Parts: sequence; structure tokens; C-alpha cells
Amino acid sequence: MPPDASRDILYETWQSPPGFLGWFTHVNQRMIGKRFIITAFAFFLMAGVLGILMRVQLSFPQNDFLGPDLYNQIFTVHGTAMMFLFAIPVMEGFAIYLVPLMIGTRDMAFPRLNAFGYYVYLIGGVTFFASLLFGVAPDTGWFNYVPLAGKEYSPGLGVGIWTTMITFIEVSALTAAVELIVTILKLRAPGMALNRMPLFVWAALIMAFMIVFAMPSVIVSSSLLILDRVLDTHFFVASAGGEPLLWQHLFWFFGHPEVYIIFLPALGMISTIIPTFTQRPVFGYTALVLSLVATGFISFGLWVHHMFTTGLPHLGMSFFMAASTLIAIPSGVQIFCWIASLWGAKVSLKTPMLFIVGFFAVFVMGGLTGVMVASIPFDLQVHDTYFVVAHFHYVIIGGSVFPLIAGLYYWYPKVMGRMMSERLGWVSFWLIFLGVNITFFPMHELGLDGMPRRVYTYLSEMGWGPMNMVATAGAALLSAGFFVTLANALWSMKHGAPAGDNPWGAATLEWATTSPPQPYNHRNIPVVHSRTPVWDWRGRDERPVVGGLREDRRELLVTSVLDAEPMVVQVAPKPTPWPFVSAVVASLGFIGILIHPIFFVIGFFLVFFTYVGWFWPRRPWRED
Amino acid sequence: MRDVPVIDASGLTRFAHRRHPLWWGIIGLVTIEMSVTANLIASYFYLAARAPAWPPQGVAPPDLLWASINVVLLLCSAFTMWWAGWGINRHSQSILTLGTGLSVLLASVVLVLRWINFTDLNVQWNDGAYGAIVWAITGFHFIHVASAIVGTAVVTLLSWRGYFTKQRQLGVVVDTLYWYFVAGIWIPFYLVLYWTPRLV
Amino acid sequence: MQSALDPASTDAARIAELWWWMLAVSTAVVVAVLALLAVALWRGRRGGQPTSPRPAWSMVLVGGVAAPLVASVAVVVHSIQIGHAIVAAPREPAVTVDVIGRRWWWEVRYQDDGGRTIATTANEIHLPVGRPALLRLHSDNVIHSFWVPNLQGKADMVPGQVNDLWLEPRQTGIFRGQCAEFCGTQHAFMAFVVVVEPEDDFRAWLRREAAPAASPESPLEARGRDVFLAGSCRACHTIRGTTATGRTGPDLTHLASRRTLAAATIPNTVGHLGGWIADPQSVKPGALMPPTPLPPEDLRALLAYLRTLR
Repeated sequence: MPPDASRDILYETWQSPPGFLGWFTHVNQRMIGKRFIITAFAFFLMAGVLGILMRVQLSFPQNDFLGPDLYNQIFTVHGTAMMFLFAIPVMEGFAIYLVPLMIGTRDMAFPRLNAFGYYVYLIGGVTFFASLLFGVAPDTGWFNYVPLAGKEYSPGLGVGIWTTMITFIEVSALTAAVELIVTILKLRAPGMALNRMPLFVWAALIMAFMIVFAMPSVIVSSSLLILDRVLDTHFFVASAGGEPLLWQHLFWFFGHPEVYIIFLPALGMISTIIPTFTQRPVFGYTALVLSLVATGFISFGLWVHHMFTTGLPHLGMSFFMAASTLIAIPSGVQIFCWIASLWGAKVSLKTPMLFIVGFFAVFVMGGLTGVMVASIPFDLQVHDTYFVVAHFHYVIIGGSVFPLIAGLYYWYPKVMGRMMSERLGWVSFWLIFLGVNITFFPMHELGLDGMPRRVYTYLSEMGWGPMNMVATAGAALLSAGFFVTLANALWSMKHGAPAGDNPWGAATLEWATTSPPQPYNHRNIPVVHSRTPVWDWRGRDERPVVGGLREDRRELLVTSVLDAEPMVVQVAPKPTPWPFVSAVVASLGFIGILIHPIFFVIGFFLVFFTYVGWFWPRRPWRED
Repeated sequence: MRDVPVIDASGLTRFAHRRHPLWWGIIGLVTIEMSVTANLIASYFYLAARAPAWPPQGVAPPDLLWASINVVLLLCSAFTMWWAGWGINRHSQSILTLGTGLSVLLASVVLVLRWINFTDLNVQWNDGAYGAIVWAITGFHFIHVASAIVGTAVVTLLSWRGYFTKQRQLGVVVDTLYWYFVAGIWIPFYLVLYWTPRLV
Repeated sequence: MQSALDPASTDAARIAELWWWMLAVSTAVVVAVLALLAVALWRGRRGGQPTSPRPAWSMVLVGGVAAPLVASVAVVVHSIQIGHAIVAAPREPAVTVDVIGRRWWWEVRYQDDGGRTIATTANEIHLPVGRPALLRLHSDNVIHSFWVPNLQGKADMVPGQVNDLWLEPRQTGIFRGQCAEFCGTQHAFMAFVVVVEPEDDFRAWLRREAAPAASPESPLEARGRDVFLAGSCRACHTIRGTTATGRTGPDLTHLASRRTLAAATIPNTVGHLGGWIADPQSVKPGALMPPTPLPPEDLRALLAYLRTLR
């Protein structure tokens, strides 16, 4: 068969159905990954606007712009959306889009499950924001402590909407996690042994494992809260023998790893971007991998540091204090490995690198205040104050959002086929960098001056007015910076310079295909012999690939876990609307529980019937 | 740049069972469920440790009889699932149908016994923290048995219509894996709910 | 007003000192890391050279392992010492106070040596200077957190358990405290004051607080008491020595002796008190106290009576 004809068949096989109705049947990983990323950024903008509203309210004492009821809803939705609807899904989205390209395969292991996870996330997120429009949003904070969130003190719909939305995100995150683990362990290109995997893939793998072990505890806590609210159980009602602190233990056993779930992929991005702009391999690959693994492990032993003020025994808490400060070691190792990677290299300071330099400045400060709040006595003072607000915004914006924006500028050409504007990137960087520091630096001092979190206003004699005004001004800069990047992304879709396959001269496999990639990702599955395959092929006129995969159906090469040796071939499923239908009926069931418990049973059977439709083998039954 | 095939995938099987990614996916699902289980059991012991008396004064531990019978029934159902797989490996679609069908039947008996004997728990779900966690764990397992039953019923139906062969049996393999989990997980739950209140 | 960096007790001073140490070291670390980064970037301008692995590994081991390890051990050891001093109860309390978090105010009960409640007040805690006071923190509703930054770190008030907090102020003065755990609508205005005074003054204050309410002396005041007892006030408030025994709102037996109203939200003056009674929602939206519309004469009489409750 002539090569062009076989490529056309391959294209036909992997192409997604066109049209509006076709949209609901897409299962290809790049489609789903892109949707995750775009949806997450949309929620980021909405939650960011809420942040601005909060800053306006707090800019001077006794402002009556937002009343307490609305303010409490807004900070709850801001925090919950940033964590659950932005940070986790955007990292999953990048991983879903990039991992199959980076490991040289055509799709993820369970394409339909991927689509299901996306729809569940979309429906959950939209419902959650809609509740704010109707004025029934939850108003109990993103960590939703009982008994405040119990039936007695929050009788309305709000907390129910929170627990429901959390359930959606749990389902979506867990499907993505299993998906990523199996894809990374089983679908790597031949030769890509574990010790040759790109560091972003390592980070995605560890993130996925963390989701698998962390999310179940929030599943349990939110389910118990639903039972308390719907079926009158008394898990958290102290007067009936329940334990309010059980919620905190379960929530933070998830909640602390959660912070690292959104942080590790960002670290993976940094380790992937730095070698490209220094044009040499990253320094200390093994140390970087071990640091990621260590961070993942340690993060499960820190949850009590969110509970230092609850009256637990001091000796026990000291263990968690020690563990919390130890996280500085893997972070430090990574920081210095990156500095060593940059040392003496001719660094091209394009926008992605600018954001990485910004990461160093902002994240190191956030990390150090992190060590401070790990100290029990100091935490007794600053816990639940603006000091902590400053700390975690430094860590999350510095540690996750800066690398994420770097990743956006870095991979945009691959996804869209065009470069983003460097000039706008430069403007955006400086606005964001200054904005972050002006907004959040004064909050350290506000916290030490006694300003608690989650107050909708304060008395003028407290003296907190001027610094709050500064913070609000900083927030204006910060949001301007994000809007410049948004405008840049929109403008460059049409007007950016064409990117070509590998505009940055990078070494990993996603750059070994066209920009944007074809529906089948790679024309042929490459065979890998090092950590920098694309650099290996520089100046050669041929490269090794896998032959013998059929073009007329969706075939994926399954390889062994450690050494990525070819084992079997997986026949991946075709586009289908069933994941969408299934997500819709599952949502009906979950949301229906807010009205009556019977919807659980109805949802159970409806989901079951859609699964039958989803998995039912269509004739002719496959014979080879 | 020219692509040179150095590995030929045409001879690799397209009908993997335990090497198929779906098998790994089910392992992932089971891992998640085990984490949920661990959290539920941890919650049980946390509430027990903080309570003045466990079970509370005047509440008897759950009755042993029917729950113990259910342990046996679930273990039998795991055996019939194993037997079904053994059958299809010897090209016997009828053993497969019979085995999975028997498993569905045994598990349905478990559900019915559970449903009519909920009073055996000797506590209501809204009788404080003890009742809440006992019912939550029991309900968690009940829903899982129900899910396994409906899923395996579909496998039985497909088997009866001749879909599965020795080669084409991925569905049976992963369903069996999940079944082992659902049947096996009752044992720790049984020990925790029925024996710890008696022993501690 | 309320600051962790202006300590008025030994514990708070130790924490503030810890902060200054950590700040100094952290500043040095930030400067060092950014300087290294700058040098790394600057050196490359002259053209790329390969990283030589030995010095690079030394840098990673010193900067990434040894330095954080030393700093962590120092922080942990010092924190355990301070923390131990904060939680330890080696002494007999000079005074024991039960503080109960309510929505959204603080009930304060003083006990005698036998553990019997002798005086109940709200939103104002008096302590003798230089003597250890044991605060037993309760809640019967949602979680609150008791925090007077100048005197001590915070401690949560969790339903179903009692947390102990020791305060040993070393100078007299008035220190503001505030709820630090989000507790619902009016979390923002759930504050209180701690009045630290010489022991004699404190004993005298406590004796006054323990006494029943003063009786009205003028006809206007007597009418005010009748308004109080006949209206809805008594359903929620107690005035010891009268038939008003409500438990929902603050005990008003010595209302006039307090410095603030509405949980340290407004000063305790006649004007503010009148406004608070007539329309609490405009002062503190969402507060659980309902508006009490009264004819002007009744309100005047009620205020006159309440001002006698010293």
C-alpha cells in the first residue's frame, strides 16, 4: 500500500465525528484533554472574578459592597472552585493531552472513560457556579467544617450542592487517575523504560497515584455528611455521640495531599521546560524523580498540621510538625537541581522561562512561610489568619500557576499550531509577578496584626485598612496580567506565527509529530533509546519505529511496565455518545439526592443501563 | 526523516486477558475501593475510640447468624465465579453460563437475607454515631453486591448468547476480578462490625 | 489593636521571638537562592558550558538537603520547647474561666475554688496581671476559635470536647481578641476584650460581677425594668435578681460595666445601646437578636434602667 493511502486510512480511523452531535461522541485524548484545559481556565476566570469581588469588599473597613451572606458564599465558591474545578482538572487536562504524545502512543487506555470523566466534571462545575447565580451557593468555606455544615446550622441547599459537586469531582479525578496510571504504565513506546520517561510523565504518574489514595477519604467524608443531612445519621453531631473532628481528619487526609496533587505536575512541567531552553538534559534526573516520589509519600503524613489548634495531644502533633518541615528537603533538592541545570547554560529567556524564573522567587517565599506555619507555636498564632492566606497563595500561585502559565506558553504551539506573542507574554509576566507580590505580601503582615481569614469586613480602628487597599490594588494588576495572557491565547489562535513541529527544539516525543498533532498522534509508534529521543534523531535521516499495527481500527501497543517491551495489542473503542448519556443520568441521580434519597436508587439503575449500552459488544463480534 | 520499522507488532495477540489495560484498570478500581474501605474502617475505630462505650450502653452487638451465613454464601459465589472461568478456558460456554448464573443467584440470596434481617444490626442508623457507621458500612457493601450482581447478570446473558470464547473472555476475567473483591471485602467488614464489639 | 508581634505575655513573646528568627533565616535563604539563580543565568550569557557534576552535586546536597535539614531540626526542636511550655499545666490556676463560643458572641463564666459558677458575663474577660489563668473553652453549636494574639496562640472551641488554654499576662492593659474559625454569618464581628488589671482590682471587679443586679432607684428606671420584664427581652436574657432568666443571649446583670456591645463591635454608650436594641441587623447583619421596636418613652426608660446595671 502506498504510504499516503495508508495514512489516509489511519486518519479516517482515528478521526472524531464532525458536527454538533458528533461533539458528544468524541473520545480521543487530545479532544478530552483540550476540553479539560479550556473548561478549567474558564472556571479559573470565574473564580478569579470572585476573588476580585472579595478584594473590593475588603479594600476599606466596614465596606457594605457585599453583605456577609453573599461574601460567605463568594469566598466558599472561590476556594472550592480554585481547588476542585480549576487546579486539579487543569493539571489532569495537561496530563491527558500531553502524556500519550510524550510516551508515543495514539490514545489513552480507556478513551470512553476519559470522556465520561470530562462530562461529569463539566456538569458538576456548571451546577456549582449556577448555584451562586441563584443565591443558594454553599457558604461554609472550602473545607466545609461540621457542625457548621451540618443540617442544623446550614439547613439550605448550599452545603448539599457542595457535597454533590465534590462527588462529581471525585468521580472525574479518579477516572482520570486510573486512566493516567494505566496509560503511563502500559502504553509507553517500546524502549521507554521507566528511567527514560519524561519528568512530566513521572509527575503525572505520581499525581495519579496520590489521587487514588487521597480522594477516597473525601469520598467517605462527603458521603457521611450527605447521610447526616439526608438520612438523619449522626456522624458529626456531638450531642448524639458524633465527632466533628472526624470530618477534619478525613478531609485533611485528602486535603493535604491535594495541595501536592496540583503541585507535582507543575514541578514536572518545570523539569520538562528547563532542558528545552538550556538545550541540554536536566541535571539530576534520578534525584528529581526521587524527590517527586518522596514528596508524594510525605504528603500523606502531614494532615494534622491543619489541626494544630483543635486540642490534639502535643506530642502527637510534634510528629506531624517534623514531617511537615521535612518536605523542605525534596523541594530543596529540586530547586538546586534546576539551578544546576541552568548553571552556565545559555538560557533562552522566552516567556515560559520567564515564568519559571518567577516561580523560583514566589515559590521559595511560599515554601519558607510553609516551614514557619509547620511550627506548632507559630501556627497557633497565624492559623486561620491572613498570614496563611498569604502563604498558600504564594505556594499555589508560585508553585502551580506560574509553571502552569509557563506550560501554557510552551505547549500552546503544539496544541494550536501557532506561537503565542512573546511581547504580550512579557507584559503578562510582569503584571502577574508584580500583582502577586503586591496582593499577597501585605497579607503576611495583616495576619500577624491579627486579621482572621473569612471576615467579610473589619472595624476601622483595627488599622488593617491601608494594607488591604494595597492588596486590592495588587489584585487589579494580577487580573490584568491574566487577561493579557487570555487575550494573547485568543489572538494567537488566528494571528500567531506558524509553529512547525518543534519550535523550541525540545527533546521529548510530543515534538516529534505535527502541530497540532493528527488524530492518531504519531504516524508510527517511535522506538526510544534515551531520555531525549528527538535530540537523538537530529541530523539523522531515519528513525526506528514500530510496524505491524493495523490502520483500519484503533490499535494501541501495550508494553511492559518496567522496560516497555512490546507485549500485546489493545483494540481501543470507537467514538460513542454513551459516556455523555451516562454522565447525564449519573448527574441526575446525584443532584436528585438533594431532593429525595430515592434518586440514588433511580440513578443507580439508570447508570447501569447506560453502562450496558456502553460496553455491549456490537456485531460482528471481533474474531482477530 | 524516514521511519524504519524495527519492531513488528502484527504477530502480537489482540485478545489479551491479564495483560490487557482493562485488567489493570480494574485493579485500579479495586485499589480505590480498598482505600474507601480503609477510610470507613478507620472512621469506625476513630468513633469507637472516642465513644464512652462501644456499642453504646443498652445496644447489643449485631447478631452473628445470618451475617456468618453470608460469609459462606459469598465465598461459595467466588468459587462458582472461578469455576465459570475454568469452564470457558476449556471451551465450555455452558459451564461459564452456569457458573456466573450461580454466582448471581448466591449473591442475590445474600442481598435478600440482608434485606429481611436488617433488624439483626440491633441499632437504627439514626441512633447516634455507632448506628450511623454500622449502617454506612453495611450499606456500602450492600450496594457493591448489588452492582456486582447486575454486572455479572449481563455477563451471564452474553455468555448464554455465545459471545464469550476461550480467546474472547476479557469481560469474564475483569468481572471475576471485581467479584473476588466484592466477596472478599465482606470478611474484614464482618470481622470489624460483628467481632470487634464482642472482643474489645 | 490585636497583634501577635506586640506580646504581653511570656508565651506570646516566645512565639514572636521565634517569628523574628525564622524571618531572618528565611530572608537569608530567599536572597541566597535568588542570587544563585541570578549567577546561574548570568554565567551562561558568555556562552553555554556544561555543568561540572561534582560542584553541582555539592550544591544540591548542601543547599537542598543539608541546609533544609539543619533549619528544620532547629525549627522543630525550638518549637517543641515553646509548644510544651504553652500546653503544659504545671501550676495552680489563679483563676479558672469557662468561655463558651456562641453565635456570635462569647459567654464568660467565672468559678470559685469549688468549681461553682459565681459570675456570668459576656464578651469581656478580666484577668489578674502576672497570675496564670486557665480558660476552659467550650461550644455547644459550631466550631469557634479563641484568640487573643497579644497574649497567646489560638485554641478551637469544638462541640463535644473542652480545650484548655493558659493565659499569663505580664502587663496590664486591654487586649482585643477575635474568633478565628469561620463560624457562620457574623464570624467577622465575633470579638471580645481581655482586661488585664492588678489583682486587687480584678478581685473587686469579680465581687461586683458576682452580685445580683442593682435595683432601680428612679421611677423612670423602674419603668425601664418593667419594659424589660414585660417584653420579649427576658426570653433570651438573664438579669440576676429579676425574673429574667433567658439563656439564649448574653447575661445582662452587669451590662453597664462592660466596655463594648455586640461582641466588641460597638462601644457601650447609650446611643449605641439604643440603636442596637431597636435595630441590631443594621449593626451586625444576620445577628440572632431580633429588632425590638419600642415607643420612644419605653426605650428611654429601658436605656435608663440598663445603664444602672453596673
